[in-house]
Amino acid sequence: MKQFISDIADALSMLGSLQKDLSINDFKPNELKVFYTIIGSENQTGEPCNISDVVTNSGMSRSTVYKTLKKLVAINIIQLEQSVLDKREFLIKLN
Amino acid sequence: MKHFLSISITSFVFSFSLWIFWSYFLMQVDMSPSWDGSLIYLPHAARVLCVVYFGYKSIPALYCAEILGPLTIYSAVPDPQMLFLAMLSVLSVPFALFLLTAIGFSLGNTRESPLNKRNYRHVALITIISAMLNALGVNLVLSFFEVNYFQELVDVAQVTRFLVGDILGSATVFLVLAVAFRPLLRKNV
Repeated sequence: MKQFISDIADALSMLGSLQKDLSINDFKPNELKVFYTIIGSENQTGEPCNISDVVTNSGMSRSTVYKTLKKLVAINIIQLEQSVLDKREFLIKLN
Repeated sequence: MKHFLSISITSFVFSFSLWIFWSYFLMQVDMSPSWDGSLIYLPHAARVLCVVYFGYKSIPALYCAEILGPLTIYSAVPDPQMLFLAMLSVLSVPFALFLLTAIGFSLGNTRESPLNKRNYRHVALITIISAMLNALGVNLVLSFFEVNYFQELVDVAQVTRFLVGDILGSATVFLVLAVAFRPLLRKNV
């Protein structure tokens, strides 16, 4: 049984290294939700989404989304770019 | 014996579940089989993970899962060729490990190991090599026996579909597991 647990620990360690490189190992539920919303939205439209899209699609409040996006920018997961069409809007680009 | 039993049960349940999930959700489109589903062949991940982490003892359970999957979903009693092909697919991972060991990359679980099973990049390398062996081996045998369950002739597109399917399917399972085990990994890593 000891060997079996050690094998499972090795497998979990491999998954941990994958998480670390994907930078999702210390995501909180809110951050994951925003991250998946961005990916889902980009996948659907084929274009970078804006903050309003994330607020609408995630069902979270605008302030929570802003706070979460700020953290994702700080850890270099995404970057915000001012929209050329609407200067008041920011586009979210995945790094 | 207890270790073998734990390994066999885990390997069988993991591989069988992936097979059922893949067959039911990816192969069946409006209840009609679509071979496009083989572009994301999830059960290859079970072969790789079980052989890499549990060793050769997991092979019998993986083989049983490969045979019982079609039997459960399609009630298809496998013919001798299918039994041989299933064995070949399961053995693609030990073959890949054997090849890597032969060129000096033996499997271990430390940073110094040439092939570290704790490093996902090394597991990805094993996945790619075993997918190549599986794609070439299975399609070679299909051509040799002059049977093909997928279309009239084995062609490059089918070999490519096998290769891409095994790699994409394994990558999908690894990512889903990495996300699913986040709470556990946060404590351990």
